[in-house]
Amino acid sequence: MELPENPDKDNNGYESAEKIILRWDSTVSEEAREKMIFETDRHEADLYLQAVDEIQRSLSNASISNNTNAAAAAAADDQSKVNSTIQIAMARLEDEFRNILMTHSSALETDSLFDPSSSSFSTPSHHELEEDETVSNEDSSQNDLLHLELKHCASSDSSTYRSTSSIREVDLMPVEAVCDLQAIATRMISSGYLRECTQVYGSVRKSAIGLSFRKLGIEKLSIGDIQRLEWEALESKIRRWIRATKVCVRILFASEKKLCEQIFECVGTDIDDACFMETVKGPAIQLFNFAEAISISRRSPEKLFKILDLHDALMDLLPDIEAVFDSKSSDSIRVQAAEILSRLAEAARGILSEFESAILREPSRVPVPGGTIHPLTRYVMNYISLISDYKQTLIELIMSKPSTGSRYSGDQSTPDMEFAELEGKTPLALHLIWIIVVLQFNLEGKSKHYRDASLAHLFIMNVHYIVQKVKGSPELREMIGDDYLRKLTGKFRQAATSYQRALGALRERFKTFNAMLEEVHRTQATWLIPDTQLREELRISISEKLIPAYRSFLGRFRSHIESGKHPENYIKYSVEDLETVVLDFFEGYPPSHQHLRRRSQ
Amino acid sequence: MTGTDTQSSFLGRISIRRNQVNAMDGSHEQEIEDLDLFQKQVSDRFAEILSAPDDTPFDAFLSISWIRKLLDVFLGCEAECKAILLMGRDAAQISKPPLDRLIPELLDRVVKALDICNAIANGLELVRHCQKLAEIAVLALEQKPFGEGQSKRAKKALVSLISAMHLDDKEGSAHKTTDRNWSFGRRGGNKDRPLFGHYKSLSWQVARNWSASKQIHAMTMNVVPPRGPEASGLPSLIFIMNLIMVFVMWVLIAAIPCQERNGLTTHLPIPKNVNWTHTLTGLLEKIGDEWKKKEKKGMAGLLFEMQKMEKLGQSLIDFTDSFQYPGEKDKVEEAAKQVAELAEVCQRMEEGLGPLQMLIREVFHRLVRSRTEILDVLDQGAKSSAPLV
Repeated sequence: MELPENPDKDNNGYESAEKIILRWDSTVSEEAREKMIFETDRHEADLYLQAVDEIQRSLSNASISNNTNAAAAAAADDQSKVNSTIQIAMARLEDEFRNILMTHSSALETDSLFDPSSSSFSTPSHHELEEDETVSNEDSSQNDLLHLELKHCASSDSSTYRSTSSIREVDLMPVEAVCDLQAIATRMISSGYLRECTQVYGSVRKSAIGLSFRKLGIEKLSIGDIQRLEWEALESKIRRWIRATKVCVRILFASEKKLCEQIFECVGTDIDDACFMETVKGPAIQLFNFAEAISISRRSPEKLFKILDLHDALMDLLPDIEAVFDSKSSDSIRVQAAEILSRLAEAARGILSEFESAILREPSRVPVPGGTIHPLTRYVMNYISLISDYKQTLIELIMSKPSTGSRYSGDQSTPDMEFAELEGKTPLALHLIWIIVVLQFNLEGKSKHYRDASLAHLFIMNVHYIVQKVKGSPELREMIGDDYLRKLTGKFRQAATSYQRALGALRERFKTFNAMLEEVHRTQATWLIPDTQLREELRISISEKLIPAYRSFLGRFRSHIESGKHPENYIKYSVEDLETVVLDFFEGYPPSHQHLRRRSQ
Repeated sequence: MTGTDTQSSFLGRISIRRNQVNAMDGSHEQEIEDLDLFQKQVSDRFAEILSAPDDTPFDAFLSISWIRKLLDVFLGCEAECKAILLMGRDAAQISKPPLDRLIPELLDRVVKALDICNAIANGLELVRHCQKLAEIAVLALEQKPFGEGQSKRAKKALVSLISAMHLDDKEGSAHKTTDRNWSFGRRGGNKDRPLFGHYKSLSWQVARNWSASKQIHAMTMNVVPPRGPEASGLPSLIFIMNLIMVFVMWVLIAAIPCQERNGLTTHLPIPKNVNWTHTLTGLLEKIGDEWKKKEKKGMAGLLFEMQKMEKLGQSLIDFTDSFQYPGEKDKVEEAAKQVAELAEVCQRMEEGLGPLQMLIREVFHRLVRSRTEILDVLDQGAKSSAPLV
């Protein structure tokens, strides 16, 4: 390249620069293939960069206005030669760039993220409350319709990760590497090789993110996979996803963004935005696809609380997502996050509705032994307690009153509920009250299978349980309100009264039976049937009718009597006692000999 | 099959499905009318997009623009189908046999379609990647004066481009390409560094064992035209919806690269003796033939722009291979024309890929919404038949 001023000096400069570039042309030289400049020697690297600068300078200094055609042609020739040299330099720089990136593109160091004193990554600490602390042994075997357990995981899962509660950028590679990358990027971009630069950058960093994802336990699952998995398995995946996503958004992606900014610092924000998006767009979408798949899974009651956890976590992350993905080209990611949030909210609402219907429909007719709480009651009240734990989120999400079906249609399959008297209550509170109403309605339906005392007993035990549960939780009590609580208590009292009545009647029956038995024994024992065989046959005939009937009678009602005062006044005879009594019949005992021998004594 | 024939055959039969008999007066007629209208609309809409005028080459068959039209047609049909299915109907009507089997199967196919949408969205990223490589080549080839530097630069980009297109779309096999586009061979024995092929970044973001061809195959199972008394009415509607959905998903998979398309079936259960399916059958044959031709060579999809890009790319590689400054005049001129074409393809991609991605997303949303709505109705049905006491 002929320059009028200082021809020799610049020519020399250009020539030696060209030499350096050509020396490192790996398409030509074996030696050049074997070494990486930036790994070898700082000095070499500096020389190389200076050489590149020199060539670039000469290109921009090129004089393009020449008077003769020959001069113009010559200039074009020279320019072409320079361009050729530049291309060789750029190809080399691209490889160096790629090499430096790859050397420093391993997975995120997760150790530095953890507080060593808390639980390790693989066994996260969370609380799991079993269904009910006072579960009695009898219940656990009961009723496989309601074998669902409700686990409440404390949403303070962030205790496992130190400070993933806000954005925290870490250094993804050493400072020297960043400097080198920056130096190379600047030259590539100023030579018009921006695209190659961003291409390489994006592809290597994306792979690095893939490694971090694997380390964080982020899986690639299809929507089909997720539909097929058992909910319990999904729960642990959701937990893991929440923890991993906090790290991804607040640390990983934020740090990548910072890295882009550093490397492409001098060239403007559009470029580092583009590089950043090139790097993280795919992984971010993959990440969110999981939450999206959960949000569209089929609704059923046990899913509510994990879905709320997911919703809350995403809600919490939203400002950070918006901060990290703040450019125009990342619109789709922000939009997807918002869409998922909205679907999760919808799912929560749907599940609550589904739950309410399920209570209404719950058809089990297994009679519960007296004194125990029906599993349905237990399940529902536990569920309600958990709902009140999630009160803050649910109050925001639940916006409409419960659908009570046709209220005045006289439809016997749903209870009525007067909403007028429940003015000023939040929709969530209305739902809770509705749930209790529906539960009672279902219990009433069940109790119709029981007769007399058992009926009333079932009912009051369960209503009592409900009342206690509500009273025991300040949030529940506050939401359901004392008015309704009074109503419930009133019901309890009514039921208690009718139970007392039924119990009284039952005691009368026992007393009557006892008296009759004693009378019959007194009489029959004095009769004599001399013929042994006939005597035997008669006794057997009486036993066959009497014993099973008494056994069944006792079986049904003994627990009621025994739960009251002085049961011994009413239940005097065991089944064995009765058998003994019958043995006395037709023996012809003298009147003085009679007293009922009670084996049970 | 006319309305009156069906009606009289119903009248003549003692059907166990009393509902159908009861609903026959008025509403069943209406149903048959709706269905006929729907079939006609489906047929018309597909026929419209089949015929593209020749002077707009970029609305050509299987171009980005054509696919967008196809998806619009799909959305239109889907909306109508859903309306006919759900409007004015209660849960009881859509839970009776054979709908109690057909509708859950439909919903299951919808879920499979959702996964396909996600895979396609991922695949469009590969298309974008190719676009960017092509743009590098165009940039280089448009330089004036055009010298060996630019030629080498262009060649490098084009070789990457062709390799990306011939990506074996099996999961994890991204390293089979012989030219990994390093300027030189990598040193051996680099065991402590993870293997970063140039295309690792394009590793699919979908589930590991997911296969597009298997997914389509699974979707086609049990898609059979309803027979007998079911031949009119909702089962027929559902059959049509299934068909359209499977067809559209199949076209997407054939056109746009996505994971594991080996053995993609070229048979779909489109009934041949029904007049409204002519257009679908025609499209199926046309695309199927192309697919079979190209499948063995390994290719990145039948998308018109990609095919064009590949052709131009190959040709320009040849040009750059033999180029020596200043180059032969007519070769240079020929190349310039091709570069201009390539630039236009890139432009089309630049304009069309974004909207296409958004459209796929919209299809996704619509399918989710419809599925949720149908599930809601079905759940309510279970509610009302509560066996209390």
